Amino acid sequence: MFKKSEIYKIDYVLVSAMVALVFIGILMIYSAGYDPIEDVNLGLYKKQILWFIFGFIAMIAVTFINYNMLGHYSLQIYGVLLFVLLLTAIFGRPIRNTRAWINFGFFSLQPSEFVKLAMVFLLSKYLHIRERDIKNFRELFIPTLITIVPVFIILKQPDFGTAMIFIPLLFTLLFVGGSDVSHLLSILIIAVIALVVPMILTYREWIGSEGSNFLLDFFKDIDLLFAVSGIVFFIAVISYILHFFFISKYYRKIYIPSFVLSLGLFFSVMIQYFLKDYQKKRILVFLNPDLDPHGSGYNIIQSKIAVGSGGFWGKGFLNGSQSQLGFLPEKTSDFIFSVVAEEWGFIGATILIVLLGVIVFRGIQISLEAKDKFGALLAGGITSIFFFHILINIGMVVGIMPVTGLPLCFVSYGGSNLIMSMIAIGILINIRMRKFIY
Amino acid sequence: MEAFRYRMYFFLGLASFVFVSISLQLVNIQIIHGDEYEIKSRMNMENNIPIPASRGEIYDTNFTPDGEKNVIASNRQSFSITTIPASFGDKKLFNKTIKRLCHVLSISYEDVETNIASKNPWERIIIKEDVDFDKIVILAAHKNLFPNIEWEDRPVRVYNYDNAFCHAVGYVGSISKEEYTALRDRGYKYYQTIGKAGLEKQYDTNLRGTDGFIRRIVDVKNRIEGEEIGFRPVAGDNLILTIDSEIQKTAYEAMAGQNGAVVVINPSTGEVLSLLSKPDFNPNMVISSDNLKIIQQLMQDKDRPFLNKSIQSRYPPASTFKLVTAIAALEEDRWNPNWSIYCPGNYILKGYIDKEFFDYQTHYTLDLYGAIAKSCCVYFYQMGYKIGPSLILKYASYMGLDKLSGIDIPGEVAGVIPSKEWKLKAFGQPWYDGDTLNLSIGQGFMTATVIGMANFICGVVNNGIVYKPHLVREIRSNDNIQVIKKFNPEKLREIPLSPITVKTIKSGMRLCVTNGTAGRLSYLKIPIAAKTGTAQTRSRRREDSTQHAWVLSFAPCGEEITGKSVVIAVLVEYGIAGSATAVPVAEKIYSKMKSLGYF
Repeated sequence: MFKKSEIYKIDYVLVSAMVALVFIGILMIYSAGYDPIEDVNLGLYKKQILWFIFGFIAMIAVTFINYNMLGHYSLQIYGVLLFVLLLTAIFGRPIRNTRAWINFGFFSLQPSEFVKLAMVFLLSKYLHIRERDIKNFRELFIPTLITIVPVFIILKQPDFGTAMIFIPLLFTLLFVGGSDVSHLLSILIIAVIALVVPMILTYREWIGSEGSNFLLDFFKDIDLLFAVSGIVFFIAVISYILHFFFISKYYRKIYIPSFVLSLGLFFSVMIQYFLKDYQKKRILVFLNPDLDPHGSGYNIIQSKIAVGSGGFWGKGFLNGSQSQLGFLPEKTSDFIFSVVAEEWGFIGATILIVLLGVIVFRGIQISLEAKDKFGALLAGGITSIFFFHILINIGMVVGIMPVTGLPLCFVSYGGSNLIMSMIAIGILINIRMRKFIY
Repeated sequence: MEAFRYRMYFFLGLASFVFVSISLQLVNIQIIHGDEYEIKSRMNMENNIPIPASRGEIYDTNFTPDGEKNVIASNRQSFSITTIPASFGDKKLFNKTIKRLCHVLSISYEDVETNIASKNPWERIIIKEDVDFDKIVILAAHKNLFPNIEWEDRPVRVYNYDNAFCHAVGYVGSISKEEYTALRDRGYKYYQTIGKAGLEKQYDTNLRGTDGFIRRIVDVKNRIEGEEIGFRPVAGDNLILTIDSEIQKTAYEAMAGQNGAVVVINPSTGEVLSLLSKPDFNPNMVISSDNLKIIQQLMQDKDRPFLNKSIQSRYPPASTFKLVTAIAALEEDRWNPNWSIYCPGNYILKGYIDKEFFDYQTHYTLDLYGAIAKSCCVYFYQMGYKIGPSLILKYASYMGLDKLSGIDIPGEVAGVIPSKEWKLKAFGQPWYDGDTLNLSIGQGFMTATVIGMANFICGVVNNGIVYKPHLVREIRSNDNIQVIKKFNPEKLREIPLSPITVKTIKSGMRLCVTNGTAGRLSYLKIPIAAKTGTAQTRSRRREDSTQHAWVLSFAPCGEEITGKSVVIAVLVEYGIAGSATAVPVAEKIYSKMKSLGYF
């Protein structure tokens, strides 16, 4: 398939950054699994080493396949994985109330991790094929469908964190794939309006803040809100019809914002009306964990204590009181970054961030240098998988992002995520390698 | 492809922004606020178990460092069951554990629940104090059934004389929310006990000592990883009182069944030998949280047992005030003690309408000595009418009846001396001559405390010098070796009384014992001098008795004042008359003091 000399084109920067991250991860899983009172180790680090070996083999294997084949078979890959995902969601044995794992006896896999890759393959392929018409609003439908189906299945498992990552992935791919920015922005604005109004109302009701705000008191009445959204929608329809008769950019400037506003308000009425109070509160707590210091806020508080108490130099390997004495929850998976930051301090955390940064920026570079559009989109999609995992995971751990259970790629314990990430690295190497072949 | 490039650059910018933001947040929480989080992480893992300090003991005046001691208040070892509600995490587990615990300790779950609900869940709370050792054995054997439940040594206060010292010594109790907010800056902790009344309150800082603590490193499930003594407790200092427990006991028994107050004071030093108030309560019962109902009952008792009637109640001084009237007249040279007046048993105040003022009996002809001895009202009506109210009031103030004595027990109130302005303000009426007559025999608006009247007699005995009354002679270290503070006599005031006046008053008071209203005291073969009083009062609580009985007395009289002289003031609420109710109390105390070798 390729000449012997091409082995030297393997991206050693990417591979060494990855190996360093996995190595740090294994050390931290060792540390987090250690129980100083009983003086025993959970032994998860051994499993992680095993996963790493499997992952490495998978990575090497992926570099041998022409990545265009991934595009060619992307629909089949997507279909098969979606089917497996559906089966898991229905028949999977629940672990911690989530049907996310397929059990193979001595190990289990999480298909939802691999669906992320399959979705990136298929979307890249689709966006590549429809490159010409992609600015058309209609072209947003298929990509959205490709994303929304696995999201619904994963939400049913239920695994909120994993489901959430698909949305920014879709947006990023649509964006780099060339969709109309005004369409994407409109959707974003609709979502923001739909959430902001009910959330502020719920927040005020919950906190019981005094004083009145004219605008908020006005929106308290959902009938009124509904009426306003109807009026705005009417304006939008009128100007949309008018723009067929008097072709003028002027009408476009009216009907797009008024559609956006009316839909935003409409969805906020829907949320206000159909969501129960506790569901709205759950969204609020998701956005601001401090509201619930004993529930989901507890994890963030303990995580911030772990990170902060690490200080500049850290408390030393196996010496982090927050992780060793069990105050830090999920310390081998979601909160592994806190363990690094606690035991190795600012220095260790910075090294970790730099290594993750190397992977992301290298991924962007590979995407920019790819020899064809599909490769560029694929590399971009894969990079954004890494990027959003890092953003959501570390952002949560240091308290600047909402709480979502997502692992930190390469570092967190977990076979599926590690193997998926290493396959993804393999694809990146693959794309970079093939830019030299004409 | 060019558009893709630009969009990818935008993505690159976004990624850079995110990495920079995360790094900045790390700088923020690890470097800028690192120390705060360091403290929080220590708070997570350190579970400091307090070791309560032993409270200082209280001895009576017969204390010798090596010999026998009369211990008034001491401590007994006991166990307290404590927990930190928040350490359970799970509310269900908490409720289950507490229910099980209440069953073992046989206490009411509801009471514990309300107690817990009123406290901060992150703080250690006491579920039950003074638990039997066998209960602790049960808990220790089934530690897994009682997670987060701990027990600690906690010395419990014991008052060896039960009720006798309840007002003087006071009692201790758990620190209240208000006390904690006021005192937290001075090292008080929410789980500590604190002196609630009397000397326990006044000298709390000396008595309490300093609690120690065991530093425990625990994990999230409260399993102990390591333990060390962080700080050893330092026992509190001991108090040595001026009170003689024998006299106190005698006074307590003499007042049995009556309400009122007794103050026994050494006029030449201000040392209080006995301070008593009735009705009383048992401090051993009050300090236990098991007796909430009884405490509630005591609080609602209309005789107000928690009130220290020797320093916290004002009474009309009645005939004992005639001494003040006499001193005013003599000092201002407006009266000759040898002037005789015929007492027909009443006095007609001439005016627009004549008004008759009664004496309680006909005394026939009397001079001042006789008038004091027999407590003749007519004599003092005339005296008061002659010298006018302002002089009497001025001297009442000289005698310190409207001033605090500064006794070392909290809560003292001062008497009230009326004036023309005071009456106008309080009643909207001018001062009438009738008011003057009432004032001159201590009726009407004038009120004084028992300690105030006792101090007044001290001034008379001491030729005008009054020492500050105090109950504590010494503060010693807990091992009684080191004297930390010694309380020397402290001059409270010096009343410029002429020796002739003092001699006249003393003679009158002596005559009151040898041939007067306090005649009972003459059989004791002690040169006692006294003045009785019977205050007319309207009781809102009792219909039958409407008189307070007073006796103010001192001994020995007529000789040089020695260190052994003593002033005894007795007030019996709703007694029959000074001579009938209060004098026997004084008599018993003098008799006991004689047998103790005071005279």
